[in-house]
Amino acid sequence: MAHQAHAYHMVDPSPWPLTGAIAALLMTSGLAIWFHFHSTTLMTLGLILLLLTMYQWWRDIIREGTFQGHHTPPVQKGLRYGMILFITSEVFFFLGFFWAFYHSSLAPTPELGGCWPPTGITPLDPFEVPLLNTAVLLASGVTVTWAHHSIMEGERKQAIQSLALTILLGLYFTALQAMEYYEAPFTIADGVYGSTFFVATGFHGLHVIIGSTFLAVCLLRQIQYHFTSEHHFGFEAAAWYWHFVDVVWLFLYVSIYWWGS
Amino acid sequence: MAEDIQQKLEKYRTAPFDARFPNQNQTRNCWQNYLDYYRCQKALDAKGVDTSPCDWYKRVYKSLCPLSWIEKWDTQREDGTFPGKI
Repeated sequence: MAHQAHAYHMVDPSPWPLTGAIAALLMTSGLAIWFHFHSTTLMTLGLILLLLTMYQWWRDIIREGTFQGHHTPPVQKGLRYGMILFITSEVFFFLGFFWAFYHSSLAPTPELGGCWPPTGITPLDPFEVPLLNTAVLLASGVTVTWAHHSIMEGERKQAIQSLALTILLGLYFTALQAMEYYEAPFTIADGVYGSTFFVATGFHGLHVIIGSTFLAVCLLRQIQYHFTSEHHFGFEAAAWYWHFVDVVWLFLYVSIYWWGS
Repeated sequence: MAEDIQQKLEKYRTAPFDARFPNQNQTRNCWQNYLDYYRCQKALDAKGVDTSPCDWYKRVYKSLCPLSWIEKWDTQREDGTFPGKI
């Protein structure tokens, strides 16, 4: 029987990178078709293919790591680097939107009335729902840390409870933000204020949804005994991502909601 | 330094250097003087006092601002849609 003389993981051939690339192509061209010819078919097809790709690719990684033992310490180290680099790229993504916000708000043009918030804009009160949202996310940072310690200490029930609570807090944040969006006295079309506000907070909200989903997958895996007290990198990656989402919110809150009002 | 405003207005050739706006982009200089003229008018009118000192700001913005901006802002003021605070 052939053995590998190293601790690394030579992954078996997989169709998911190809289906992912095809999905990206269909979604982008589908977007253009939607804009010009009012048909959403291509884009929807791309979206379905993307969801299928994500489900199957990550399912395969769980199979390779949890069930087949391919995630040795050096392999795990590589996965850690990967997650850190990905989150770093996301940091730069948000940095761009913060740059746009500060560019427009530090030197407001005559068209805005030379002031920030611009003439005619009634910003949201930072000490109402936005402050509650801050508390919700900070609390969720505490509960996810509690979950981590529970996993490391082999406390199964507590891990499930604290992870579930984290997800609930994430959903509560999303619900509150959705309500704020609905009730807001300004829209994305209201000049550069609207643009910077909704693009920055909108992408953040999307990341909250992604992070909540990631944590929910971890919850399902925890319930199904995938994690050990020594080896639970999927959870750690989700927790890192969640903390990142929390930190982005803190910057959004201080810059756009508080200073920007 | 304690020059009469009338003497200053007589000597006027073009907008002098304003250290508040030292750089190439003079948009803010134009905007500020436009605002200051109409604010000065409003304030002195309210007191019932001669508004001719305000003419300095008018001279400066007339020198600096593109005509299209002045026309646009004048129209906005008439319509009540001028975004600046006067």
